[in-house]
Amino acid sequence: MATLAHSLEPLQTLEGHTDRVWHLAWSPDGTSLASCSGDRTVRIWQQSRIEGRGWRCAAVLEDTHTKSIRCCCWSPGGTHLATASFDGTTAIWQLQGGIWEEISKLEGHENEVKAVAWSPCGNFLATCGRDKSVWFWERGLGDEYDCMDVKHGHSQDVKSIAWHPSRELLASCSYDNSIKLWANDEADWVCVQTLEGAAVGHSSTVWSVAFSRDGRKLASVSDDCTLRVWSVEWSEGCPPEPHCSLAACISGHHSRCIFTVDWSAQGLIATGDGANSIKLFGQPSLLETAAAAAAAAAAGSDPAANSSSGYIQQAADAAAEPGTPQPAGEQPAPAQQQNGELYDAAAAAAAAAAGDAAAAWECLCSVQQAHDADVNCVRWHPSRQGLLASAGDDGLVKLWQYKGLGQAAAQQ
Amino acid sequence: MSLDAQSLINPNPIIHERKARTQKEAAAAVAEDGRELIDASEIFDHIRDITDPEHPYSLEQLNVVEEELISVDDRGSHVKVMFTPTVEHCSMATLIGLCIRTKLLRSLPPRFKMDILLSPGSHSTEAAVNKQLNDKERVAAALENAALLDMVNRCLAGAPASG
Repeated sequence: MATLAHSLEPLQTLEGHTDRVWHLAWSPDGTSLASCSGDRTVRIWQQSRIEGRGWRCAAVLEDTHTKSIRCCCWSPGGTHLATASFDGTTAIWQLQGGIWEEISKLEGHENEVKAVAWSPCGNFLATCGRDKSVWFWERGLGDEYDCMDVKHGHSQDVKSIAWHPSRELLASCSYDNSIKLWANDEADWVCVQTLEGAAVGHSSTVWSVAFSRDGRKLASVSDDCTLRVWSVEWSEGCPPEPHCSLAACISGHHSRCIFTVDWSAQGLIATGDGANSIKLFGQPSLLETAAAAAAAAAAGSDPAANSSSGYIQQAADAAAEPGTPQPAGEQPAPAQQQNGELYDAAAAAAAAAAGDAAAAWECLCSVQQAHDADVNCVRWHPSRQGLLASAGDDGLVKLWQYKGLGQAAAQQ
Repeated sequence: MSLDAQSLINPNPIIHERKARTQKEAAAAVAEDGRELIDASEIFDHIRDITDPEHPYSLEQLNVVEEELISVDDRGSHVKVMFTPTVEHCSMATLIGLCIRTKLLRSLPPRFKMDILLSPGSHSTEAAVNKQLNDKERVAAALENAALLDMVNRCLAGAPASG
């Protein structure tokens, strides 16, 4: 069995911003990438129609915000862009006759707005900021947005927010070290859970949160240099209530504050940190090793695996369907790497049997000097497998291609 | 309590003598490419003349900054500066820290990572001040606040431009 190679190859560097790039957002159809910066502009990047020319700047949105633009976000239909600024406002932009026009401005935060996010249905917009609040806006007639609710649950600035991909559920994370989950209760939004405390929570500022694409997991990253993965489950009641529990705390990989996190469609987590690095995390035992272990067991290369070869398929099935109860009496050992190359088939199968929550997370690859400064944002392309964009304090946007699991999965 | 005592956080700071400027020693550490490595004394030279926000003295004269509390790893591109406010409930601590960070941001190559911290035990809300000083988003926002930037620039006016 060959080494499971994972790599992140640089594709292109996009130059244009004159100050740090804070945030990135792919349009839902993947044709455009928006980047926003301390230079108070947004740049829209699109792939050149000419083969081999790569991505180029197609538009610059400027003269609206008077301070850094901290966050940008596309509407679910890809027709509008929202931008959040340190100037205290959130702007809504629309492409009209080939030109991006500011069509609406949301005012209300006392000072810096740090993030903006459109709900999956497009009816709601959430913003958060330095004033410790999370605002919920509802789309009214035309392009008017009315404030529905203002929540003051956090005790310090709210750093970022993320919507669940299919439910009306928002996660917010804060300088107060906590993550809060907000659910819609008719006209109000209520905090249904707070993830905090020494037992499970982060021990410093939580900079970013991201739901997995299937909505079953939440990832959070922090100044405490850890990545945490939470399982999201729903109660039977009406309406069903979410409940998050800590599934994994991944530490020892980042040497400085982690600023950004994003999930790929294949379940890979990308992170970017204050030590200029981008790292990819995955659960090899779930994503690939189940297949590798089955092959190894079939070849009889590992007696331990051999004896459990019939069990491996069951384990893989259990992993694919986390609702399946764990086999009783089988307390799995975490998947171990042997000689940095081979995975212990039996251990991997056992870990998979425990469901995805218990399967070991590993750092699959790391680009140490991805940017020449802090990495502020990483975002996977919505559909093109393995395409990742990153933004840094060096004023650059970079595109990367992940090679490894995605390719293996594609070949199957 | 007198008016002065009310308006000044520390009405009677102790003034220390300024050290002689360190002469660049011929034996200064040199990198593989022949470049002179940045060391603690160079960092100290950048920040020693920053004016205290409430006294007409430099941070060196007030013993707020000391060369001994600076550590530099040039190859690892890392600088750690610890500073000591004159009184432990000093409300100017975050402003002083912001001045030190801003001066170094303007003086050092951008590859450097900086940790600006209160010296241990020097402040009543040490952890909170440290957290704020090292939150890049708060620092960025502070430097976009015209009034705050003006205060920082006035404190830095005393310090020689980087070179």
